[in-house]
Amino acid sequence: MPGSRVSAVPAQRFAIGARIRSAWMARSRQERLVYQLLLPVFGSVFVVATIPFVLAVIQAVTSDSRGFVGFDNFARALGNPLLYESIKQTAIYAAIALPTEILGGLGIALLVHRTVRSSAIRAAIYIAAMIPIVIPQIAVGVIFRLVYAPDYGILNVLLGQTGPNQPLWLSSPPLAMIATASVDIWQWTPFVYLIMFAGFQTVPSESVEAAQVDGANAWTQFRHIELPYLRPLLLLVLFFRIADVIRVFDHVYVLTGGGPGTTTQFLSLYIYRIGFKFSDLGQASALAVVVMVAMTVFYTIVSRFLPADRG
Amino acid sequence: MTHRSRRLTRIATYALLAVIAFIFAFPLFYLIATSLKTKADLFAPVPSLFPPAPTIEPYISVLFTRGFDGLLVNSIIAGLSATVLAICIAFAICYPITRLPAPPRLRAFVLNWALSLRFLPPVAVVIPYFAIVRTIGLYNQLPALILVYTIFNLPLAIWMLRGFLDEIPIEIEEAALVDGASRWYAFRAILLPLSRTGILAVVIIVFAFDWAEFLFAFILTATPQAMTFPVGVQGLVTQFEIIWNDMAAGGVIAILIPLSLMILARRHVMTGLTFGVIREK
Amino acid sequence: MKLRGWLATLIPIALVAAACSSPSTGSGGAATKLTIAAVQGVEDAGLKALAPMYKQQKGVDIQIVEAPYDDLYSKLVNAFKANDATYDLIMMDDPWMPKFGTDGSLSDLGPLGLTQDPDVAQVVWDVGTWPPPRGPVPPSEKSKPKQLLGVTIVGNVEMFMYRNDLSATAPASYDDVLTNAKAQNKPGTVAGYIIRGKATNPVVADFLPILWSQGGDVFDENWNVVLDNDASKAAISFLVNDLKGVAQTDPGSTDASDRDKIMANGQGYQSSVWPGEINTAVLDPAVTKVAGKVTFIPIPKGKSGKGVGMMGNWLLGVPKASKNQQAAADFIKWMLQKDTQMTYAQNKGIPSRTSVLKDASLTAANPYFPVLADALQAPPNWRPRTDQWNAVETIIGTHLNKALTGGETADQAATGAAGEIRTLMKGAGYPTQ
Repeated sequence: MPGSRVSAVPAQRFAIGARIRSAWMARSRQERLVYQLLLPVFGSVFVVATIPFVLAVIQAVTSDSRGFVGFDNFARALGNPLLYESIKQTAIYAAIALPTEILGGLGIALLVHRTVRSSAIRAAIYIAAMIPIVIPQIAVGVIFRLVYAPDYGILNVLLGQTGPNQPLWLSSPPLAMIATASVDIWQWTPFVYLIMFAGFQTVPSESVEAAQVDGANAWTQFRHIELPYLRPLLLLVLFFRIADVIRVFDHVYVLTGGGPGTTTQFLSLYIYRIGFKFSDLGQASALAVVVMVAMTVFYTIVSRFLPADRG
Repeated sequence: MTHRSRRLTRIATYALLAVIAFIFAFPLFYLIATSLKTKADLFAPVPSLFPPAPTIEPYISVLFTRGFDGLLVNSIIAGLSATVLAICIAFAICYPITRLPAPPRLRAFVLNWALSLRFLPPVAVVIPYFAIVRTIGLYNQLPALILVYTIFNLPLAIWMLRGFLDEIPIEIEEAALVDGASRWYAFRAILLPLSRTGILAVVIIVFAFDWAEFLFAFILTATPQAMTFPVGVQGLVTQFEIIWNDMAAGGVIAILIPLSLMILARRHVMTGLTFGVIREK
Repeated sequence: MKLRGWLATLIPIALVAAACSSPSTGSGGAATKLTIAAVQGVEDAGLKALAPMYKQQKGVDIQIVEAPYDDLYSKLVNAFKANDATYDLIMMDDPWMPKFGTDGSLSDLGPLGLTQDPDVAQVVWDVGTWPPPRGPVPPSEKSKPKQLLGVTIVGNVEMFMYRNDLSATAPASYDDVLTNAKAQNKPGTVAGYIIRGKATNPVVADFLPILWSQGGDVFDENWNVVLDNDASKAAISFLVNDLKGVAQTDPGSTDASDRDKIMANGQGYQSSVWPGEINTAVLDPAVTKVAGKVTFIPIPKGKSGKGVGMMGNWLLGVPKASKNQQAAADFIKWMLQKDTQMTYAQNKGIPSRTSVLKDASLTAANPYFPVLADALQAPPNWRPRTDQWNAVETIIGTHLNKALTGGETADQAATGAAGEIRTLMKGAGYPTQ
């Protein structure tokens, strides 16, 4: 460990050695501070957060009745064709929801940042953007059910489409997918907005002014000045939204219950079904471990090309 | 850009923002409308956009008759405590990796670990958490929730804070250090004010997530002593009953509390949002 | 800033410390408090009304912790797995009991003082016994002695309802049901038959009486899957083709509350119904437009020659981990007493004593009580007594919902579901073919 090397330097190397040593000691003091600050806090959080994960792994390699079963649960989990159907449906859901949320949130943040001058209104919009996140999920699910339901749902009523041929937002596979994705978009675009808008505030104003003086138009200004500053936050939003979409559960459960058939049975619903309806906690844990490992690998690869750090 | 086309763009932008605002506001409006309806209104064959005979009966039912006011208090305590804890720990972790020469691999490890936590489907850890919490005797106690919420929001807090801290040039603090200030002073008087925007964003988002969290609040509590508001609202959707108005009232109340907190703190919100970082070129 | 920073940190800690105060549960001796895990909704309304009475009479505090259907199940599974002592009594839907019985999570109520009162229909005692006294027994349970693990406090049996103002005679068979439905069906105004078709539990609850009345079943006496035999296939086709043709607009997303709404608004002609739905929705004076126009009958006959109702009793059981076993059992005994049951029925409860159900003073407010008493004596069928039932129901429910929404044919639903169930049961150690 740096700093603990108290070496007896041979006399003939005294001059160089002393310089190396003092540089090393100086650097290591700062580095020591890193460890002093970081390790206790990070260490304890790491331990506390990892214990349940370890337990989940243990759950994944054991079975209630037969003790340690190795990869049995994993084999069963990966051998179930319904898993791949679920992955496919989750991917479609993500493909609809994620680009809309991220580009939408970013776009709206840009628009507000550029056109709304009053700081009171900016703050008001910011506070309002928090609302979709704080509503209990069940309320979100039920309200959207009241919007999309056949016959008594307000959407079909407003569209004038009642009667036997009305669009069945909750029972027709493509419509159900759009309906559930729309709830996601409604809930999470404001989240993207919250982060991106805050990010816009930290772009130094002289860079922006300098660019404007140089004659840059709105698009160039965005692309070359603001976007580089926003990149870490944008990637943050992307990764976290992907992680969240994989875990989406509550509003889908209330809206469609995974139906029609298995159209909206996304990954988290599928794992819930295996764990609680089928009481197969071993398989459910195995699935969770697989998901986590797969996503970590995916993220490691992606972050090679899109480093979340700026330059 | 000519003056007129600038104005046209402005008007078009405002119009677009208004449309977007309308689309987002509609479900909220319908939530409020539903919360003011009577049971008979809910049964109407053709739903109405506005409650025909508005009543605040659902609110009284949720808050008092059903006794959810205690749950609200629990939610506030759990949310605030977990948020404060999360941001303190996030700072303790982000400061070394953004302000001090931490080895890049350590930095990457911390960030990757934080993100991978979020990849884990909660369903798998529900029972382990349940078992752990029971073993350490915190079952049906608020501190269990506070702990769990802190851990679950740490990844986001760490990533967000790091993103914002990275924006702040280190030279300013280093100048102060060279001038003889202590590290703690540099942190408190220079870094903290500059990172207001980041802190604001983290606090709002983490509190919002804690406030609306359902799964662990449900699993780790058993009685109203420690249950939070979302757990209570969840119970209003039963198999046979149609009490959507009560549930909508619950939803509106759930919005009003954080909203009020934000409005109380609006000065901080505004400062955080309009404070830009002065950089040297 | 500094002071506020410290305050911001200290106040939550102080709040946390305050929140940490845990009321100590009564130690040893006589219990002063019992905690019941109950299902939220109409089913525990009677229980909630009786709790203060018990406190008055016996001095024991009853704390009722509610959760909606699915959540209650998850919570109980968790609690049993961790041997949690929080709950002294639990409400369970009868299909859940086999799992809890197989896992050995519940206490035998016989030694705790409960005896089988003949005033309560025999099927009630049977459904609360594990292993089940009739029908196929899971292989792992065959050697266990029979124990009474749960006592019914909500005597639910699924019934049938139809509009007596639209047709004077009751349907005697499902053929009648279909004929009447076709005659009464006016798309957009009145649905000939309301299908409760939402995925998993709802659609299966609606479908099983049809399946059984038509002579089909899920399992036979030896746990072989017969969901894809001719009678069962015909029953599935009857639901997703015949009945769907005369049903409301979107059966695939209709749950019980939706069905009740349609019926209460006079937009439906007939459907199956659970007693709990009747006074809360269908005939709720505040909202109903069909007061006095609905007749309740047992499930109509089918090709099998019998009309087979399905029971959905809510049982009260005592977890083995509870520290107040005797006090909990005493509460159950008190709930079964005739005078308690009368008060229970007057407070929205659904009693299980035959004499109470047939009591004339209650019939005015609850016209379906006498029908319920007969249905309990019939006896009604119960869902297959296996710890895998939740999974089986999920499989069947998903396929039925898929067929109802046009995702597959009735035949595909039958074969698909049967195949998955076979795999599931074999994996769980049953001798299924």
